[in-house]
Amino acid sequence: VIGGAGAMAAAAMVAAGGGDFSDLREIKKQLLSVAERSRERGLQHSGKWAAELAFALEPLPLSELPPPPVLTEEDARDLDAYTLAKSYFDLKEYDRAAYFLQGCKSQKAYFLYMYSRYLSGEKKKDDETVDSLGPLEKGQVKNEALRELRVELSKKHKAQELDGFGLYLYGVVLRKLDLVKEAIDVFVEAAHVLPLHWGAWLELCNLITDKEMLKFLSLPDTWMKEFFLAHIYTELQLIEEALQKYQSLIDAGFSKSTYIISQIAVAYHNIRDIDKALSIFNELRKQDPYRIENMDTFSNLLYVRSMKPELSYLAHNLCEIDKYRVETCCVIGNYYSLRSQHEKAALYFQRALKLNPRYLGAWTLMGHEYMEMKNTSAAIQAYRHAIEVNKRDYRAWYGLGQTYEILKMPFYCLYYYRRAHQLRPNDSRMLVALGECYEKLNQLVEAKKCYWRAYAVGDVEKMALVKLAKLHEQLNESEQAAQCYIKYIQDIYSCGEVVEHLEVSTAFRYLAQYYFKCKLWDEASACAQKCCAFNDTREEGKALLRQILQLRNQGETSSTDVAAPFFLPASLSANNTPTRRVSPLNLSSVTP
Amino acid sequence: MASVHESLYFNPMLTNGVVHANVFGVRDWVTPHKMALLVLLSELGRAGPQLGLLERRRLNRLLLPLLQGPDMALSRLRKAIEECCPHLAGSVHIRLKLMAEGELKDMEQFFDDLSDSFSGTEPEVHKTSVVGLFLRHMILAYNKLSFSQVYKLYTALQQYFQKDEKKDGADENEMELTNPEELDGKMEKEELDGPLREEEIACSGPLSQKQAEYFLSQQASLLKNDETKALAPASLQKELNNLLKFNPDFAEAHYLSYLNSLRVQDVFSSTHSLLHYFDRLILTGAESKSNGDEGYGRSLRYAALNLAALHCRFGHYQQAELALQEAIRIAQESNDHVCLQHCLSWLYILEQKIFDSCVLLEHSVNKSLHFGLPYLASLGIQSLVQQRAFAGKAANKLMDALKDSDLLHWKHSLSELIDISIAQKTAIWRLYGRSTMALQQAQTLLSMNSLEAVNVGVQQNNTESFAVVLCHLAELHAEQGYFAAASEILKHLKERFPPNSQHAQLWMLFDQKIQFERAMNDGRYHVADSLVAGITALNSIEGVYRKAIVLKAQNQMSEAHKLLQKLLIHCQKIKNTEMVIRVLLCMAELYWRSSCHTIALPVLLQALALAREYSLQYLASETVLNLAFSQLILGIPEQALNILHMAIEPVLAHGAVLDKGCAMFLVAKCQVASAASYTPQKKIEALESAILNLNEAKTYFAKVDCKEQLRDVLYFQARLFHTLGRTQERNKCAMLFRQLHQELPAHGVPLINAFK
Repeated sequence: VIGGAGAMAAAAMVAAGGGDFSDLREIKKQLLSVAERSRERGLQHSGKWAAELAFALEPLPLSELPPPPVLTEEDARDLDAYTLAKSYFDLKEYDRAAYFLQGCKSQKAYFLYMYSRYLSGEKKKDDETVDSLGPLEKGQVKNEALRELRVELSKKHKAQELDGFGLYLYGVVLRKLDLVKEAIDVFVEAAHVLPLHWGAWLELCNLITDKEMLKFLSLPDTWMKEFFLAHIYTELQLIEEALQKYQSLIDAGFSKSTYIISQIAVAYHNIRDIDKALSIFNELRKQDPYRIENMDTFSNLLYVRSMKPELSYLAHNLCEIDKYRVETCCVIGNYYSLRSQHEKAALYFQRALKLNPRYLGAWTLMGHEYMEMKNTSAAIQAYRHAIEVNKRDYRAWYGLGQTYEILKMPFYCLYYYRRAHQLRPNDSRMLVALGECYEKLNQLVEAKKCYWRAYAVGDVEKMALVKLAKLHEQLNESEQAAQCYIKYIQDIYSCGEVVEHLEVSTAFRYLAQYYFKCKLWDEASACAQKCCAFNDTREEGKALLRQILQLRNQGETSSTDVAAPFFLPASLSANNTPTRRVSPLNLSSVTP
Repeated sequence: MASVHESLYFNPMLTNGVVHANVFGVRDWVTPHKMALLVLLSELGRAGPQLGLLERRRLNRLLLPLLQGPDMALSRLRKAIEECCPHLAGSVHIRLKLMAEGELKDMEQFFDDLSDSFSGTEPEVHKTSVVGLFLRHMILAYNKLSFSQVYKLYTALQQYFQKDEKKDGADENEMELTNPEELDGKMEKEELDGPLREEEIACSGPLSQKQAEYFLSQQASLLKNDETKALAPASLQKELNNLLKFNPDFAEAHYLSYLNSLRVQDVFSSTHSLLHYFDRLILTGAESKSNGDEGYGRSLRYAALNLAALHCRFGHYQQAELALQEAIRIAQESNDHVCLQHCLSWLYILEQKIFDSCVLLEHSVNKSLHFGLPYLASLGIQSLVQQRAFAGKAANKLMDALKDSDLLHWKHSLSELIDISIAQKTAIWRLYGRSTMALQQAQTLLSMNSLEAVNVGVQQNNTESFAVVLCHLAELHAEQGYFAAASEILKHLKERFPPNSQHAQLWMLFDQKIQFERAMNDGRYHVADSLVAGITALNSIEGVYRKAIVLKAQNQMSEAHKLLQKLLIHCQKIKNTEMVIRVLLCMAELYWRSSCHTIALPVLLQALALAREYSLQYLASETVLNLAFSQLILGIPEQALNILHMAIEPVLAHGAVLDKGCAMFLVAKCQVASAASYTPQKKIEALESAILNLNEAKTYFAKVDCKEQLRDVLYFQARLFHTLGRTQERNKCAMLFRQLHQELPAHGVPLINAFK
């Protein structure tokens, strides 16, 4: 497939169509050619993506390699100007490139001309922000070129003279002018005309905010669509669907693609399946040891698992590769944070933000660091910035909530936790946090609802049940409290990790006493014996055992020994297991 | 995920936000407008001696607002200077023109020369004067500019000047035809820019720091004082969003957006804006180290307090209480007594919704005085007076307290509270049934000049006090039968407080009440009934009461009675004594309509006792009228006349016209009844005086257009004339009666038995 006239681009679309992966060779051919064409136009990221994907496929024999693009008459006319301008462009001298490309008619040269002008405007805008004449002018610095570009491109668009790349640039200009609706239409058109260009798909991903919007898009039916769908599912937190898509892509023959592997790892990270994500990332590092992309996510995982040596190795490694990358700074920040050197960590996150102010994660992470440093006001600032960049950043909302909770304002922080909860309705951490706040405000009914819900959606930290049990205890609902403790113990034992949980002893102590009160001596003594295994409850357990023994001896004659099963799971827990699907929870009449 | 576009990566030294955080502290920037001012100042210095005294004075007066005010267009500035001194305006324009059309070095030279005015043995400008400070600020700000910034400033100046020139040109060449080619190009461009244009119009150009501040403070004060003059909620929000887009650190804009959302009763966005404001405030509080940690903690307390206020305003009392508790706890922890006092006042407001809490309030007043918070103290006194008035405390003490708080207001010139206090007095006088006093107070407020000089053009503010007073005024006029005047006042209210504004509910209620009364007087019960729903929506208790009245008028006695019973119990529970008495009166009326006068008597006595206890004089006299009527029917007219003498005076002095008529009618009836036992001579005298009284009653009834009552009076008068043998007068009355009788439907209740 050869770049050039619009008619040929249309031919490319037909070739790429189908949506099946039966002909991997054809796909590889298409990828190689589109990578080349992207590079010719200075679209490095799209080129990189295509090349990466092509690399994952079997190499082609010489005979099947795509032929070098055939030059048209127009191309030949513009060739000198194009060659000169492209080299200027590569050296980031955009104005110079644009100057020499003036009046070029061929598609390739025209695109490069417009694109240079756009990038020059963007660059100037960014430089300008430093030199603005006043604080209020700061936000008003605009890319001056955008409006002119829009006028020219829309003329061409109306005359249908734009090829896939041109449409893509038009879409970018529209998006920068905040004309989202028009931008989406243009990107969809671009995807139809030139489905192989990943940039257009990616822009579309950014503009689509929910599933409903996705439904109403008419997308070209090509194999690229599968990649797009997988990507957008990850973005929209529809992890199950995303993983399915990626799996089918791997099955289709892209098993070696680092892109897909990294996306899968990110997806696992998003659903907090830490072990899986870690192993996939390790695999990825083996295949692509100098990769820097996505390593910030990897470092987050290492951080959560407190794997100091691994994180340290990663940080040093990345630092060697390129220390002026956002991801590197982020990894180093995480590293310092894990070593409790929070000032340094904050410094590195700041550096990451200097490198790319739109790098959302760093704001949130910086907020966390300030929290650790007890600098609440700075933390609030950082979180607010994060929210400004992305309103849907639940971690920032959650962080704000935590900050206010530390400031002992439980009612005030409810609002923030609610926001976080709205964004991640099935995340138990927000629910537990909400529950704790309600508990502090003495709104026990609401608190109970929150804990119950947290348990129902799958509690990560396994604390919701204990808290719920304690609440029941407070309210003298001993029956329910006992049930919660039983469930809690079952949960813990089924997981197999008993060591860390301090509350197990509390649970056994309560159960022992509960059974004792109910005169179920066998169960009581079993629980009391369990109590003896823990330091803090040993004495109590022994005392209880003695009492039980005494009472038993007294009532030996009267009581009929029925060997009741341990924990009474049949009677108490079987009919009460919470369903995974609970009705939407109504925390309070007013939830702004 | 990684950012999409390549452009994000190409510049590793990209800076945004981070660098600018510290820039925000600097307030002074050189702008083209300020350069024009500098030119003016230097011209002023140069032309100094030649200027006349008058011109000089005018210019000096002009300078201060110019230095402090927001930036303006060059044409406006020129006009302002021209008004003072046309000669100077010309030279300023020439200097600017030279600079703008010259080269960059002209501007540089200009700034170099500026500092000369300080030098010399006798400098033109003192360093510490207002002008001197301004000059030095500007020179400093200019010197701080980087190379590219200087160039930017110069281009900005050129644009500033050219815009003015172009405007002048456009004015002159308006009629000239533009050549078709250009027109074509323009058309096309406009067509393409369609959607973009719209947004830009809303932007109306960038605002400078000062302009933004001015805009915010102006809108905020308008929202407080005169909502109708502020921008409409939607457009205000648009402006604010715009402002915030340009500068997200501008915390005050969030607060204004909170106030704006309150206007449209939007819980969600108002909460959002409020919290955002305080998040931002905490930042700025921490940045300006003047108060150190203290300033930061302070905003936290007030954040919680404001949240409580918000929930309270939306009627989420439980939530408000929780937020308030939080505010109190934090304030206590940091020993902030001032904040605690605010909390206390709010606590009172919240508790008021649940139960009476005079103790809290007294405490609050004492403490506020102690901590020197006159505003809070006086608000406390006002609420206390209000509550005491409802609780029936001695009127003289209350008036005394109000006088004391008035002293406080005038001392601290709290003009807003003066208004509130007068409105309060109006309401209290009306509660006590002294309509003349209420009228006088209402007129005082309306004709008083506000102390605040904020809106120089408008003398009065559109605050709640004005709404209250105007409503009372409308009702007072309606009571006296001046319906045209009342509707005029209501029309005015509607204009001042449009239906969606904050205080509109007040006049809506009063409007419906007045309409209801008129409908009842005219006997159009179905109309009254349809109004009940509206009244209930605004005030449920009042609504139920009015429903009962309608039922009573429609002779649905048992339903009315049931409703009144329920209402009575409810009102006794919430201690709404005024309503209790009114309900009792209504019930008594039900009883005597069903000819159970003996049952009505104890009810009336109870009402009388209550009315006396709470010094609700007007209700007391109405009760006495009812009582007298019952006595008349029970056959002791002498006794009835005796107690009537007691009540007639206040009724005639303060009562509504209808009541005056009823009272006189009743007096006449009693006179006739008691005349039965007199000697013939005395009897004639008594009857004649009764006829006179009836005449008076007739005029009253005619005023409010009560045809039914008029008919009754005429019938009665005719009978009296007949007894006296004055046939001519009798026939006249009879004729009038006949006319009315044909007009009106037949009466349900025997004539003599009705008193109202």
